[in-house]
Amino acid sequence: MVTLNSYLTLSAVLFSIGAVGVFTQRNALIMYMCIELMLNAVNLTFIAFSRYLNDLGGHVFVFMIMTVAAAEAAVGLAIIMALFRNKETVNVDEINLSKG
Amino acid sequence: MKWMLFSPEIFYLLAALCFLLLSMTGRLHRRRDHHIALALAVAGVAVCVASLQLEGSLFSETYKIDLFSQVFKLLLSVGLALVVGICSELRGIQERYEHEVYLLLFPCTLATMLLVSSIHWLGVYVSLELSSYSLYILVALRKDWTQGIEAGLKYFLVGVFASAMMLFGMVILYGTTGTLDVKQLAQILPGLMSHAAVVVGLLLALSGFFFKLAVFPFHFWAADVYQGAAHQIAAYIATVSKVAAIAVLVRMVAMLGGSSDYFVHVLAVLSVVSMTVGNLAAIAQKDLKRLLAYSTVAHAGYVLIGILSMNPGGYAGAIFYAMAILVMKFTVFLVLVKVAWDGTNLEVDGLAGLHRRSPLLAMALMVALFSLAGLPPTVGFTGKFLIFTAAMERGHFALVLIAMINVVISLYYYLLMLRAAYLLEPQEQCSPLSLSAPIKLLAGALVVVMVAAGIFPRYLMDLARNAAQGLM
Repeated sequence: MVTLNSYLTLSAVLFSIGAVGVFTQRNALIMYMCIELMLNAVNLTFIAFSRYLNDLGGHVFVFMIMTVAAAEAAVGLAIIMALFRNKETVNVDEINLSKG
Repeated sequence: MKWMLFSPEIFYLLAALCFLLLSMTGRLHRRRDHHIALALAVAGVAVCVASLQLEGSLFSETYKIDLFSQVFKLLLSVGLALVVGICSELRGIQERYEHEVYLLLFPCTLATMLLVSSIHWLGVYVSLELSSYSLYILVALRKDWTQGIEAGLKYFLVGVFASAMMLFGMVILYGTTGTLDVKQLAQILPGLMSHAAVVVGLLLALSGFFFKLAVFPFHFWAADVYQGAAHQIAAYIATVSKVAAIAVLVRMVAMLGGSSDYFVHVLAVLSVVSMTVGNLAAIAQKDLKRLLAYSTVAHAGYVLIGILSMNPGGYAGAIFYAMAILVMKFTVFLVLVKVAWDGTNLEVDGLAGLHRRSPLLAMALMVALFSLAGLPPTVGFTGKFLIFTAAMERGHFALVLIAMINVVISLYYYLLMLRAAYLLEPQEQCSPLSLSAPIKLLAGALVVVMVAAGIFPRYLMDLARNAAQGLM
């Protein structure tokens, strides 16, 4: 029997890995993947709560998050690609602006 | 006739579709596109004025139309019209993508309008993302590839991170209360505010808007994005997007925030740090847009004071301040766009000799800066006055004191800009700026509005009060 707590623990761990990754990784693609990990941790929590509360709202929200994340991937990867075409790098440390 | 309630949104959707079609026709007609955009944006203002008095709710009560939302929709549409007004020469944008500027600006405005009316987390989330994604792309369209793309990437990464935090907050609230509807939440939450999880969830759920408003932990994108984006786009981010963020924060805090000291304390800390960091960082800036970005961070701090006062006066003050920010910030950007007409970035010293090159713009800049600094008799003074009195009523004396000190600090760099415009002599001989008649008229009108709204703020104040009344 998997309890609500196990789901919450798992998603908390996933969310933390993602959040730490955003701050420690310097590769734009990996940072983006870490953020996706955070989003999926949220999705897992929504589903877990949704089952636990017997409420469909959470399920619907997860579908929306997945749809929006797809649009986000389109925008984000386009920007990262454009950066790579220009600079031949996706390392955010080699970008001049990102210091402030 | 329920669709009437939705008329501003429908109008902006149709306008966006119109530009979608135009962008498919292939060849670029710069003047034609600009004229159409301007006509549509002005018509949009008219639609918003016409729907100012509407009230009701849509989509199973998840979308609320009241005076508050309609006032903000009017502000957003005015903001869009003003920004489109300075888009006649988009020299900061790559030529092949000029089509797409309007195509993205209109849906972005539509999304901010959806945002101010949504009272369900799902609507809030989807419309926030729609407005953000349009802006990420708009920022990346800068003519100077590297600058634009880098700024776009930074904006994107910070923005997506903030929205992940926001979702996490929403899921905590969902788990603890079992509802995603803000109206139901407003009935359940007051009894639960002593739980740490609820307060943390609420704060995280608002972090998406802290990001939009450039409040402290999410402020570090502002300077780079303003610097990297084309002037017109930066103007849009500084005005329309900020106004929408203030609207959502006011509504959510008014509905959900009540009666938790802990929540107020956290907001107070965010506000103090934003003001101080913003003002101190602005002093060190050479680039005009970076300076404006940090001044925006500071202004976000002032607005938060009004919001965390959690009394009708505070909300009205925040609403009034949103109107003030729209006019003041836009005026500075108008001057920036005209002085840096070739689309390159401008140093503060680049304003040198402005009073001789264009006395009208210099005067507009002066009034706008006085207003930003909060000197009477300008609209900025009235806004700060309303916010600070509301905070004093709630006994936040220390907070107001810190804010006043910050206002004094901010005077320094606003006066530096003014000194550049009026006292510095340019290095080389600069020709007078030629302004078209509509732009002259616009600059004059902005000056009149800023001063008139400072001396006779009664009408706007009543509007803000009535809008805030509906929230409680």
